[in-house]
Amino acid sequence: MNTTEVGIIAAACHLPSNRRTVDDLFREEGVKAGGDTLTRLGIDRVPLRNGESGSFMALAASQEALQRAGIDAAQLDFIIDYTILPQDYLVPAWNMSNRLQHELGAKKAFTVGFSGGGASNFLVSLSSGVAMLQANDNFKAGLLVGSEVTIPGSRVVNPSDPVTVLGDGASAVILQKGATTGVVLSTELRSDGANHDVYYIPGGALAHDQPEMYRMQLDKTRYDSSAKFEAVRDVATQAMQRAGVTADSISFALYPNISCDDQARFQEMFNFKPEQMCVTNRAENGHLHGTDFVLNYLSMLESGNRSGQHVVAASHGMGYLAGASVIRC
Amino acid sequence: MDTNIGIVAASYYLPPGRKPVADIFRDEEIPAERLAANVDFQKDIGIEAVHVAGKETAADLALKACRSAIDKAGIDPKEIDLIVDFTSIPEEYIAPTWSAAGLIQKEIGATRAFATAENTGGCASYHTTLKVVCSLMASSDRYQTALLFAGDKVPEYNHTYYPITVICDGGSAVILKKNYPKRRILSVEVATAGKLHDVWYIPGFHNRSPQNHDPRWLYMTADIPKFNKEVIPINLFMFRKVMKDSLARIGRKQNEVSYFIYPTFSTWDQKAFLDAFMIPREKVFTEGLQRHGHLQETDMVLDYVDAMDEGKIKDGDLVMLTTNGAGFSWGAALVQH
Repeated sequence: MNTTEVGIIAAACHLPSNRRTVDDLFREEGVKAGGDTLTRLGIDRVPLRNGESGSFMALAASQEALQRAGIDAAQLDFIIDYTILPQDYLVPAWNMSNRLQHELGAKKAFTVGFSGGGASNFLVSLSSGVAMLQANDNFKAGLLVGSEVTIPGSRVVNPSDPVTVLGDGASAVILQKGATTGVVLSTELRSDGANHDVYYIPGGALAHDQPEMYRMQLDKTRYDSSAKFEAVRDVATQAMQRAGVTADSISFALYPNISCDDQARFQEMFNFKPEQMCVTNRAENGHLHGTDFVLNYLSMLESGNRSGQHVVAASHGMGYLAGASVIRC
Repeated sequence: MDTNIGIVAASYYLPPGRKPVADIFRDEEIPAERLAANVDFQKDIGIEAVHVAGKETAADLALKACRSAIDKAGIDPKEIDLIVDFTSIPEEYIAPTWSAAGLIQKEIGATRAFATAENTGGCASYHTTLKVVCSLMASSDRYQTALLFAGDKVPEYNHTYYPITVICDGGSAVILKKNYPKRRILSVEVATAGKLHDVWYIPGFHNRSPQNHDPRWLYMTADIPKFNKEVIPINLFMFRKVMKDSLARIGRKQNEVSYFIYPTFSTWDQKAFLDAFMIPREKVFTEGLQRHGHLQETDMVLDYVDAMDEGKIKDGDLVMLTTNGAGFSWGAALVQH
């Protein structure tokens, strides 16, 4: 369809310097790590904010990304928020992107935000940002931003049989029309509505006025039985086909830092070699939802020159929203 | 933006329960004193009663609207490629972790769709969503048919957004199709003023002290001094900007617009809009105000549907849907009938 190329011209993360080991977090949250739990997770520690708000971290990441891109916030046409965890006030009545617009001085931008799908929400935002730049002649550049602040006492997802450990942190990406690097060639997204409530926060909105229910909930039985890896395989294959590349020609894979087990399943599915995926961020930061993609993207760029090579970014979106993008470095 | 995208069908659902605004003002202890410009909020608002959802959830309201829109469109839900929830107030579970998009996908059986939610814009979230969805559809052959929906249910004693309007519960849904020759979306403009992000907001659990059991943590909260000082002075300027830009994008002028859809906040707000843009009252759908009050972003769909059903919009008409949202956003969309 539209052949105008849009690419990532800069990216940045802001992670609090304060860290807590997973051992400590397990102790604090009353988690009994049995058997090989720590090995399965492969997470050593996570960043924890020290009083700073999600908006503060998002602002820092955005300013750094803009500086790296060499563009002024006033040039931005839109700001898209891909945050997954609760924000300063209740979403969708309030959204961080508007505060950021003001604090960045992005005067001509308008704001957009997306909900749901765990880390895949980043791919939804990426796809939408690319589409808006392609479809609107007057648009030149956009900012994608996410900032995760974990609910206190809710860092270990599914404490009875931990699936991941959540950290705090923010990331930002600058998209530009006509970019020659980081070009987003295709994105495929598919949701399984039956799993809309596998990963969610039950209390605090209309359904439950109970503070004890204001915590991340994972329905482990449904999560485990969901066809999440088949879904991510399908969307990744479709995204590659649409981009005109094969799995063999993919040089690197960007995948969320949920756990060692989860990353291994994805790696095996496509026969990627260990050096084709970044796993160090998982051990050092835990899971940061969409920010995982940005962290791993930056690590990939630091690991060597990949100019012209193809990369796939994929996520099962906690069994609900599978997504995959193919990017040409 | 040459979208070549048309509105195949639009529909809404209002729950059967009704509550007179007099009862709402009494129950919510709304002040009786006059506002600026000698406006009597309670007497001059122009709303008789609003619909209240009772036991129906926000998603129930949205689902009924979706099913109605799908029936009107005569499509199989399996044809739907994209589902976007544009609800602008909290739903059953906490956002942005969750939205009702997946639940709706499951309930209607839209098995090949991808479902998400656009979560900013206030009452202009419909425009923000149109902007994104039209871009996705225009830039990829993956998306041929889209379902946009909203379901709004406010807490029992938070129907009054004083001193602006009284809120009705309800749901709305719109089906868009690519290469659809009727009701074509010609342009969509959205503008936001980020410094006004906290004029309207809902605090949430995490801003409530553990000792505080006041239910208002889930109530819409307004910074009225900031609203008066910073929103009012730019409101009509921003309306003019998005309306003018949407027209300029397709080389048309305001006098070519046959009909306007404008939110149903209050009599004085409607009058201010009509006066500012010198639009005759018969060219704006104002009747919804008295019937049901304000339905947040759903105003844009509900009033559009009623205007069509009541013969106010005719073939060949250029229709403008314009609104502001939560003090910080404005949107304008042009639809060619």
